[in-house]
Amino acid sequence: MHRRRLLALLVFAGGAMLLAAPDSALAHGLVGRQDLPIPKWLFAWGAAAVLVASFAGLAVLWPRPRLEGTSERRLAGVPRFLDPLAGALGVVIFVLVIYAGFAGSQTTTNNLAPTVIFVLFWVGIPIASLFFGDVFKALNPWRAVARAVAWLVTKAGRGGLPAPMAYPAKVGRWPAAIAILAFAWVELVYSGRGDPSNLAVLALVYVAVQFVGMSLYGIGAWNRYGDGFGVYFGLIARMAPLRWSRPALFARKPLSGLTNLDVVPGTVALILLIIGTTSFDGFSGGPTWGNIAPELTNVFRVIGFGQATALELVFTLGLVAVTLIVAALYRLGVMGMQTISPQGPAAPELAARFAHSLVPIGLAYVVAHYFSLLAYEGQRMAYLISDPLGDGSNIFGTSSATVDYTWISATAIWYVQVAALVIGHVAGLVLAHERALVCFDGDSQVATRSQYWMLIVMIAFTSLGLWLLSAANS
Amino acid sequence: MTVPIAHAGHWLVNVLYVAPLLVVVGVLAWQSMKDRRRVKQSGEPIARRPPTEPPPA
Repeated sequence: MHRRRLLALLVFAGGAMLLAAPDSALAHGLVGRQDLPIPKWLFAWGAAAVLVASFAGLAVLWPRPRLEGTSERRLAGVPRFLDPLAGALGVVIFVLVIYAGFAGSQTTTNNLAPTVIFVLFWVGIPIASLFFGDVFKALNPWRAVARAVAWLVTKAGRGGLPAPMAYPAKVGRWPAAIAILAFAWVELVYSGRGDPSNLAVLALVYVAVQFVGMSLYGIGAWNRYGDGFGVYFGLIARMAPLRWSRPALFARKPLSGLTNLDVVPGTVALILLIIGTTSFDGFSGGPTWGNIAPELTNVFRVIGFGQATALELVFTLGLVAVTLIVAALYRLGVMGMQTISPQGPAAPELAARFAHSLVPIGLAYVVAHYFSLLAYEGQRMAYLISDPLGDGSNIFGTSSATVDYTWISATAIWYVQVAALVIGHVAGLVLAHERALVCFDGDSQVATRSQYWMLIVMIAFTSLGLWLLSAANS
Repeated sequence: MTVPIAHAGHWLVNVLYVAPLLVVVGVLAWQSMKDRRRVKQSGEPIARRPPTEPPPA
């Protein structure tokens, strides 16, 4: 009980410190002036009201599980050549990006590599996965190369490749979680992230690790648990109404794919990392961090670090701290849920059982924080496909295209962000309610009571998300 | 770092984002207390013990 109180105190103290830190003037480039009819904080109130109404609606109108254990319907067959063809396309894009990274202009906006990696890959693929299923699995270049090598070796040799080792159950999705943390560190902390050649080197290092993992544990097992991007995009794809597999395309209820997620070790950490690192991205663009960061950087400089290293250390601390606050918030909700039935499962088991309900929230955070990046920076592809190296070539005649910052207003972006956050959290509530119904044998009254704490967690994440967005856009 | 009190107007707006959370926490805490009181009077358990086996794979 004391641990719970201490954790609650720490979480709320952390949140209060973030909120109480004074504002300062700080300019933010991408999003322009918003013309909103009501103050932004009132959107947090509205979002909370929607969540409470959804919670009440679920309690009354959703008395038995409708997503858990549902079947899928075969839509159409998938031709055998489609998988290798998509894989070959992925390999071509990957090689082009790496080549552009090394051989092209080292100015970030003139090189194909940074835009493809940070905009199309990191933001575009999760959004595409939500609608079309696991598109990355088909395009995954390192999976395609490994499969091609395995096929060739099998054809050439008599016995084929030796059988892979069994994937260690204790390791679970921890390699994927570490990979996502590393990518977030590069994106948010690393001072050389804008340098295309650095990105190319890091991409090759990542691919080398994937080849080692796949050769040790097999392509399928490593893609399912060890490949950070494969696992992350695969999680998002579980929300999609479509599922691709080798023989066919299947249709299913949206979100239902998440209900049979195998929550092996590292899964909860991976999902919380997605929310935590995105939160830090928003937080680091706001005035509060703008006040804290220089002070902390000075501390590291006094110790003897250079300016760039000191800044990286401070941002690393911020990334870890915000992620830990997000994790503690979820843990607090789970511990609260446990108080409903103290004789029931322990908090770590409950955390695993309800982890899938955080996946829509993770995607909501990604959409809310990066929608403007996709909407504006994504347009760079128009000229980058004609001039991928930034050397003045004009392959498709579009090298003179520019970024139009007026096609969508800042106000419209704010509405998209709010809608993404609200829909994501309502989806999270639905999944948590479903799981509670299963856990409590369909007793909707008890299931609803057990979800009071999850409602609090969802409202906390919504308020946090809106506060971060409003601070970043201020 | 500047003294927060000097910027009360700024951070009070930020605190408004936490307000709906505090309201919901208050209402749910009150509801839970009511439930517990009712359970104590009736003698029935507030929640059945959920099964400990993992969710369906």
